[in-house]
Amino acid sequence: MSSTSVYPTPINAFKQSKRSVLSVIVDNEPGILARIVGLFSGRGYNIEALNVTVVDVKKNLSRITIETLGEEKVISQIIAQLEKLVPVHSATNLANLSESYEAEICLVKIEFENEEQDQKILNFADIYRSRTVQKRQNIVVYEISGTSERINKFLDDLDTIGGIKVELVRSGPIGLGI
Amino acid sequence: MNNENEFTGADILLKALKDQEVDTIFGYPGGAVLPIYDAIFGQNFLKHVLVRQEAGAVHAAEGYARSSGKVGVLLVTSGPGVTNVVTGLTDALMDSIPIVCISGQVPSHLIGTDAFQECDTTGITRPCTKHNYLVKDVSKLSETIHEAFKIASSGRPGPVLIDIPKDVQFAKSKYISKKDISFREHRIKAGSKNVDKNFVKELLSHIKKSERPIFYVGGGCLNSGHQASQELIKLVNKTNIPITTTLHGLGCFPGEDKSSLGMLGMHGNYEANLAMNKCDLMINVGARFDDRVTGRLDAFSPDSIKFHIDIDQSSINKNVKVNFHTNTDITLTLKEINSFIDSNNIDFGDKDYSNWWGQINEWRKKECLHYEQGDEVIKPQHAISRLYELTKQKDTFVTTEVGQHQMWAAQYYKFSKPNRWITSGGLGTMGFGMPAAVGAQMANPDSLVIDIAGEASFLMNIQEIATAVQYKLPIKIFILNNEYMGMVRQWQELLHGSRYSESYVDALPDFKKLAESFNAVGVRAKNIAELDDTINEMISIDRPVIADIWVDKKENCFPMIPSGAAHHEMLLSKYDKENPENQEKGKVLV
Ligand SMILES: Cc1ncc(C[n+]2csc(CCOP(=O)(O)OP(=O)(O)O)c2C)c(N)n1
Ligand SMILES: [Mg+2]
Repeated sequence: MSSTSVYPTPINAFKQSKRSVLSVIVDNEPGILARIVGLFSGRGYNIEALNVTVVDVKKNLSRITIETLGEEKVISQIIAQLEKLVPVHSATNLANLSESYEAEICLVKIEFENEEQDQKILNFADIYRSRTVQKRQNIVVYEISGTSERINKFLDDLDTIGGIKVELVRSGPIGLGI
Repeated sequence: MNNENEFTGADILLKALKDQEVDTIFGYPGGAVLPIYDAIFGQNFLKHVLVRQEAGAVHAAEGYARSSGKVGVLLVTSGPGVTNVVTGLTDALMDSIPIVCISGQVPSHLIGTDAFQECDTTGITRPCTKHNYLVKDVSKLSETIHEAFKIASSGRPGPVLIDIPKDVQFAKSKYISKKDISFREHRIKAGSKNVDKNFVKELLSHIKKSERPIFYVGGGCLNSGHQASQELIKLVNKTNIPITTTLHGLGCFPGEDKSSLGMLGMHGNYEANLAMNKCDLMINVGARFDDRVTGRLDAFSPDSIKFHIDIDQSSINKNVKVNFHTNTDITLTLKEINSFIDSNNIDFGDKDYSNWWGQINEWRKKECLHYEQGDEVIKPQHAISRLYELTKQKDTFVTTEVGQHQMWAAQYYKFSKPNRWITSGGLGTMGFGMPAAVGAQMANPDSLVIDIAGEASFLMNIQEIATAVQYKLPIKIFILNNEYMGMVRQWQELLHGSRYSESYVDALPDFKKLAESFNAVGVRAKNIAELDDTINEMISIDRPVIADIWVDKKENCFPMIPSGAAHHEMLLSKYDKENPENQEKGKVLV
């Protein structure tokens, strides 16, 4: 007899979990973000990243982008649950579109101690075409954008330089279908 | 400035309720709703029913809604008034009952200051309502109320809450009537009105091919309206396909009809569960594959092609993957199926599923609802059977509390019409039944309304007896008194080595005297000889009655699919033993 549980636990759900980016158009009204966040926490879904901004002032619409993990069945259920919320116009899994684009922005502040580190940092910044926002004696701030993956790689590379201090902020991915 | 076309928020609320044809409101006053109570004082279209605790108001509104098909409405004050309705809102959300709850809030300028009786009402009720509002601007009030009613009753119905700060109840604005409001479609989510013709064709071709089809019907059929049940009856009669219903589906199809296999699920009929397990075609009409119905999922109806009609997209493929589905309203879809059969002269005459019915009739021979009534102690099953026999000629509504008595009521009371059976299924709320009976009696003043109760559940909202007495609502509370939280005791017996931890209901009141102290009537049956007379007496009294029926204290509710077991692993009596492996796994489930 198979031992699958009646109640799939999140641990099972994450076994075949895939990263998905969901794009949700909502009426910009009080409580809408709380509704969405509450839906995720109440039903045991994951939010890896979240981004909310008004995109149409006249129609009072916001676009919410959510990066989440879950197997396909869970993602479809999340979409169906999102679409039940009264202020939600639409919820789309970008992966289901034939064509979609993603981007993220990251600001990195790096404190270094010596010339050698400075050189290495400059080198990586150049490779990844990051923009210098500010540079002082031993502090540099870069802005890097692109896919989340590209930003991850940049940060991994910075990590290979020993003895520097990194502080950062990321917007989380945003995306658009065509 | 005194503009004739301007009204206070409180008056706008009443105008909107009138516009929505609300004639009854259940409520309890307090500081933050005094302006609304003042407006109620000066009018006569709206009957206010003063409950004794806000939980009573919300369950009464549910009972009113379920028994009438209309939206139930309640009014409560801020802080403790509204926190008292959280259980009922959750109950209505789980069971898809359309209600609108109006709550008072502290004045706008005090919000966020931890003012007296302030709480974050929209925050607390967000996860237990279909939608909720905090109205900060009186000019938005009319529109908000009309949208709230629309949302509560459209698509998959549910509870909606409107929180109104006290200053907004005093502030003035124009009133906008219902007909002058254009709803924004994306917010109403009414579901598609276009029948999926392809779904209908696929379904009929599968019905023709199938050897062992079954209808599995849930509360969605109820919510789609009486016509859904009419269409369902037509379809079943045409096709000769067996039909089983969920707890909430009872009454959508006549329980005594030969095609009915009765209720399925944890305490469902043997023949219904086995038919679900062995069918090759399952037609789900407005049911949600709840865990109380499916049993262990990996063994749920392994060989069937599954069709699902449900207005709620999120119910599709949530627990069980189906092969075909449609989100169009059940009435429209069933109607199309019936007219497709008629216009194409599809004849099911040769397709009588005789082997399938033969098999089902074999299962029926088990007589899974059989019990032995001795000549002294009343068996609870027998009490319900007698209640049914002695009331079935009347226009009867039955509500219940939660526990064994609820399951026995579902098994032994037969319903032939929708909306006659009002019970808390999804949440399983003890204390639901009596206030729900108050609501059902308000909506149906000339009908017989009976709350089939357990003594423990009844104690949870006992204060509402006073409401029934004040409004001369002749509800009957039929207590199967076993002195135990019987359902808890049963699980402890089956799963926890008969260690009856805290499930004995000690220090019970004398229910007869209790009734009398409330100015209701108390009657009692101590043994089988007194049963019929007690029931008849109860029915004959035109006042609220508490009937204290002493039943066998150790009786268990069978059949039972223990948690973690599958449909074909049902226990039929106390002599059946559960597979120990399932028992260990089942113990951790609910
Ligand atoms: C508010 C609430 N608390 C706890 C429970 C758990 N529970 C389910 S049935 C039950 C016992 C009900 O006892 P009673 O009303 O006497 O009914 P019986 O099972 O004896 O018929 C309990 C405690 C519940 N369903 N609701
Ligand atoms: Mg009891």
